[in-house]
Amino acid sequence: MTTRRSWLRGLRSRLIAGFVVVTVLGAGAAVWAGVRQASEALVESSQSQQVTSLVSQITATAPSVAYPLTDQSIEQLRVAAGTDSLVVAEDRASGDGVLADGVGAVPAELRDNVRDSDGRVSTQRIEIDGTPWLLIGTPVMLTDPSGSRKPSGVEVYVARDLRAVEEDVRDLITSAAGAALLVLPLAVIIAVLAARSVLRPVDRLRTTARRLADGDLSARTDPAGADELAQLTDAVNDMAESLQRSMAELARMEDDARRFAADVSHELRTPLTTLTATVELLHDALSQDAGPVDEDVRESAQLAVLETRRLVRLVEDVIEIARLDAGTADVRREPTDLADVVRACLQARGWEEVEVGGSAPAVSADRRRVDLIVANLVGNALRHGRPPVRVTLSSTADDAVVTVSDGGDGIRDDVLPHVFGRFYKADPARARTPGSGLGLAIAAENARLHGGTVTAANAPGGGAVFTLRLPAVPTPEEGR
Amino acid sequence: MRSVRSTCLAALALALLTACGTQTSEVETGADAPTGLAAGTSLYFLDGDRLTLQVRKTGRLGTISDAVSLLLTGPGDSGLETGVEEVSMTRTEVTVTSGVITLRLPLATSEVEPLGVDQIVCTAAASHVQAGGSPDTRVRLLFTDVADEAGPGRTCPL
Repeated sequence: MTTRRSWLRGLRSRLIAGFVVVTVLGAGAAVWAGVRQASEALVESSQSQQVTSLVSQITATAPSVAYPLTDQSIEQLRVAAGTDSLVVAEDRASGDGVLADGVGAVPAELRDNVRDSDGRVSTQRIEIDGTPWLLIGTPVMLTDPSGSRKPSGVEVYVARDLRAVEEDVRDLITSAAGAALLVLPLAVIIAVLAARSVLRPVDRLRTTARRLADGDLSARTDPAGADELAQLTDAVNDMAESLQRSMAELARMEDDARRFAADVSHELRTPLTTLTATVELLHDALSQDAGPVDEDVRESAQLAVLETRRLVRLVEDVIEIARLDAGTADVRREPTDLADVVRACLQARGWEEVEVGGSAPAVSADRRRVDLIVANLVGNALRHGRPPVRVTLSSTADDAVVTVSDGGDGIRDDVLPHVFGRFYKADPARARTPGSGLGLAIAAENARLHGGTVTAANAPGGGAVFTLRLPAVPTPEEGR
Repeated sequence: MRSVRSTCLAALALALLTACGTQTSEVETGADAPTGLAAGTSLYFLDGDRLTLQVRKTGRLGTISDAVSLLLTGPGDSGLETGVEEVSMTRTEVTVTSGVITLRLPLATSEVEPLGVDQIVCTAAASHVQAGGSPDTRVRLLFTDVADEAGPGRTCPL
């Protein structure tokens, strides 16, 4: 059952099955009507032939039969009527064959009809022992010279076997059904052709939809014809068109936004450089001069220096990420030993408390950028986690792996998916942290630039784990 | 769904099976019943110049030839007369074609009076009607001296 169910699920098979069912029903109905008509005509004609034959046999014999009937003349009439006949006169009867039992063998309905028939022949089809028989019953009439008729009290019944007719009808059904079956292959062929004409556009549409889903927004289907499928094709084309327009618009808007950010940053850089120099000069002057300067003023100057530096870093980060987005970042690849880079990075920043372990295969990378990534990850761990901060080098089949872990509480589950987002702050209350909010985003972009990844997770024992993977075997340049 | 479908198929198959082939039927009434039984033969003689029916008790209807032969043997002692001369040879040849009974009589035209001709025609027609023939059938008489009678044939004046 289930196999048939799934077999019927295909559009093609359902179409074919539908065609076949309709054909069978149509042919069946035609055969049924035709056979019914023909068999009725056959039975009808055989019946009237039998009746005519009986009437003429009796009429031919009656003038030579003694009347009122004697036993002998009854016999004479019965012989004239042929086999399986019965002649009844008053209370006497003579039967033969299936009617040998006398009037008891004749249905009462037929007998009554013969008696009240007003000089007509009555017929009835009955079954005797499972065989179809035609029973004919008739009174024999007395006619006077003027032509008026009255019953003579003599009745003749004959039974005629209808098996031959039944056989004819059966032959008729067989040949009609055979002819009807001949159209089945034709129906299947037509169904296959119809299914193909329906399924080919559907197939093309599916291909187009798949290309759209795979990102080829220029995929279209040529609409053929003017049927519902062509309308569907048009609708899909329209949908693709508007999708493509929307996507282009979105891309343009995103581009504009990025360019704006980059432009703003560039514009800010020059005044900021001047500002930094000025503020630092001011701060130096205030801290050296032990003059009558208020402590508050000195603290303000200190704060101005810090914030200005932060602002400079933020602007630089924005410029960097804009460059990465625009694909204009330059990458100077060289064979790089990750252990060297990590050690140099920690040393340069004075992070002596960080533990380094393990070893990793050489990678082809831009040292400066790998240093940036490691510095960012370790700096994060030191800032947000708790000691011990550990950098572990290892390798997998394809990648060199640098893992930075700390002994802190780890990253909250709701924050974890967003840590690489731009300007994402885990705690809105702690908006003023030294970071720009772009550090991890830049690290992730840099890793991507090398065909690698940075992922964040929590260690089973608590503490955040950031993992940098870089392809160990040099890979072809990435597009960006 | 499935049960509905199979029910429909079963009903269809049943309809096909029962519709085909002969089946039992009600009583139907059709053609005219046979006839031809009679207690005697109808003969026409003359009562004066009037045609009169006499039934000769032969026990059966008999053929047209029998009836005409009996007519030719005369009325016997029934008190009726006949317009046909008595002859020893009464064998009459009868041919029944559609609508016409042809009698080849063992008589010459001179041996039959005009009323005698009516007697023969009426007797033959009566016998034909009683045996289930059509009342509109005409009778053509052939005599020993007239080998062929023209015209559509005669009818019984009664």
